[in-house]
Amino acid sequence: MHHLLRTTSTSLLGATLLGTAAAAQDPRLERLDPRVRPLVASVIDSARAAGLPTESLVQRALEGATKGAPGELIAAAVRRLVADLGQARNALGPSATPPELAAGAAALRAGASPAVLAKLRRARPQTVTVPLAVLADLVASGVPVDSAAAAVLALATTTRDADLVEFRRAVERDIALGAPPGMAVSTAATAAYGATGAGVQLDAGARQARPSRP
Amino acid sequence: MTAGTRARAASLAAAWSLLVASAPAQTAGTLDVGISTVRYDGFLPSGALTVTPALRWERPGGGISARGTYLRFESGHRSLQGDVTGSLFAPRAATRWRGELGAAVGASRYVDFASFWHAVAAARLHLLGRERGAWIAGTAGRTSYGTAPRSVAAGGAGAWLRLAEFTVQLSVNHSHIGDTMYTDLQSSARAEPGPVVLEGTLGARMWSRGGGRGSYGEASAAISVGPRTALMIAGGRYPTDPIRGNVAGRYLTLAVRIRAVTPRHVVFPDRAAAPGASADGGTSLPVARLEVLAERNGPVRIVVHVADATRVELAGDFTDWEPLALTSTGPGVWEAVLPIVSGVHRINVRIDGTAWIVPAGTTRAPDDYGSDVGIFVVP
Repeated sequence: MHHLLRTTSTSLLGATLLGTAAAAQDPRLERLDPRVRPLVASVIDSARAAGLPTESLVQRALEGATKGAPGELIAAAVRRLVADLGQARNALGPSATPPELAAGAAALRAGASPAVLAKLRRARPQTVTVPLAVLADLVASGVPVDSAAAAVLALATTTRDADLVEFRRAVERDIALGAPPGMAVSTAATAAYGATGAGVQLDAGARQARPSRP
Repeated sequence: MTAGTRARAASLAAAWSLLVASAPAQTAGTLDVGISTVRYDGFLPSGALTVTPALRWERPGGGISARGTYLRFESGHRSLQGDVTGSLFAPRAATRWRGELGAAVGASRYVDFASFWHAVAAARLHLLGRERGAWIAGTAGRTSYGTAPRSVAAGGAGAWLRLAEFTVQLSVNHSHIGDTMYTDLQSSARAEPGPVVLEGTLGARMWSRGGGRGSYGEASAAISVGPRTALMIAGGRYPTDPIRGNVAGRYLTLAVRIRAVTPRHVVFPDRAAAPGASADGGTSLPVARLEVLAERNGPVRIVVHVADATRVELAGDFTDWEPLALTSTGPGVWEAVLPIVSGVHRINVRIDGTAWIVPAGTTRAPDDYGSDVGIFVVP
């Protein structure tokens, strides 16, 4: 009994010290519930030790705190993001920047495969943050992963970040006008980098609004 | 089966299709509701209420569209029309040529005396380039105007060219419908500035025997005003279409297009119901729309449009998820200027201290906490 108490006390003290040390490194974590703070802090410390960026992990935890999420959900969300960041780094390579890894993690979560991330890295000499973000965004809009990945890969080699964002807006507009998401991305990509499906017209235009015959 | 029965069946099919538009497939449904003023050749001008459900089902290499149109004229008379069209593209080959097969069936009915139906098949061969292309096409089928069906045979060719944001197209089509014959020369242009799609056509009907003559032209604008809503305005003059039974006329139409729900990627389908559903999720929460105005290497202006609010806050990964009260800069407009780095960002908005919601103008995604978060990109 005495041994059990001593072991438990030592563990609690260790966890508390660990959590306190981590929290001290980032005072923003003070906003977390004291019961979950050590756990989240230790997960973030582990990620730091593994060479992963920690800012997005802190933000994910703070998001949970602001939304009043239970502690175990916050810890689980941070752990899941650590796994996604690790997978993104494996795909994008050790030189990937923190924003690239954050965007890569979002793309993986959306359903993109690590192979797509790796292809994107090879296809684009400059940063892949915005292409990855656009890819995640398109998939979240209902565009099939394969179609979104093909369009972003085709655009990424030559297109500026701002044009990629504009491409994303064109897809959003065409979906709002009634195009299926896959067709919208195909049409917008066609407009951006060349024809793949000429003859396909979206559901807008004069002929669509003509009154019917009497 | 009478043409009226066919018209009702086609319209019902289009309307039914709209109801299943949320099925897990690449399917999109829209409903246009509007008002028109129209003057068909040989008729007095009339106002009309128009209701047009439409559905498009799309797969790589092909698609099917169904559309129904219901008109109620000032006189109380009604017109009903339904069309189903489909096309299938040949697999993409190493060459620049690509084949397309298409088919269209439809029927229409006005009062109880003027009924049409048609069924045609078409083949197209496309020559595709990066900024330009061309095609040749042939069409064959049957059409009927309450009498014995007449044969349809048509051939045409066209070319298109993309110039920056504009796409221009020129085509010539020669058609034989029974003993009616005509040739149409038509040009069109399409531009897509921001949330607007502009389209215009100019054409002339020549060498006509029984199909009418003269020039025609139409213009339209489709304006996306939300994730599911668009305004459509169109007008002009169009020629007689002997295949579908449309009489030449002049018109002006103003309509609202509502997009049915299309499937979105769901990461956690069993997650708990969102306590604060998104602004575009069809809840009764106040609707907020986000605009992100970013300049290269400068601060980012966040603008939130809310119809009626006394306090608007945002929280995101660029505020350490601390609620930030926005400044009212005009009726329904709330703003903040913040240093936000390039990349993907997460945001929620709160109006008058109620639940955190996802503003329109962002992409909604599950947030790991049983709710949703808005995603936006800063280039």
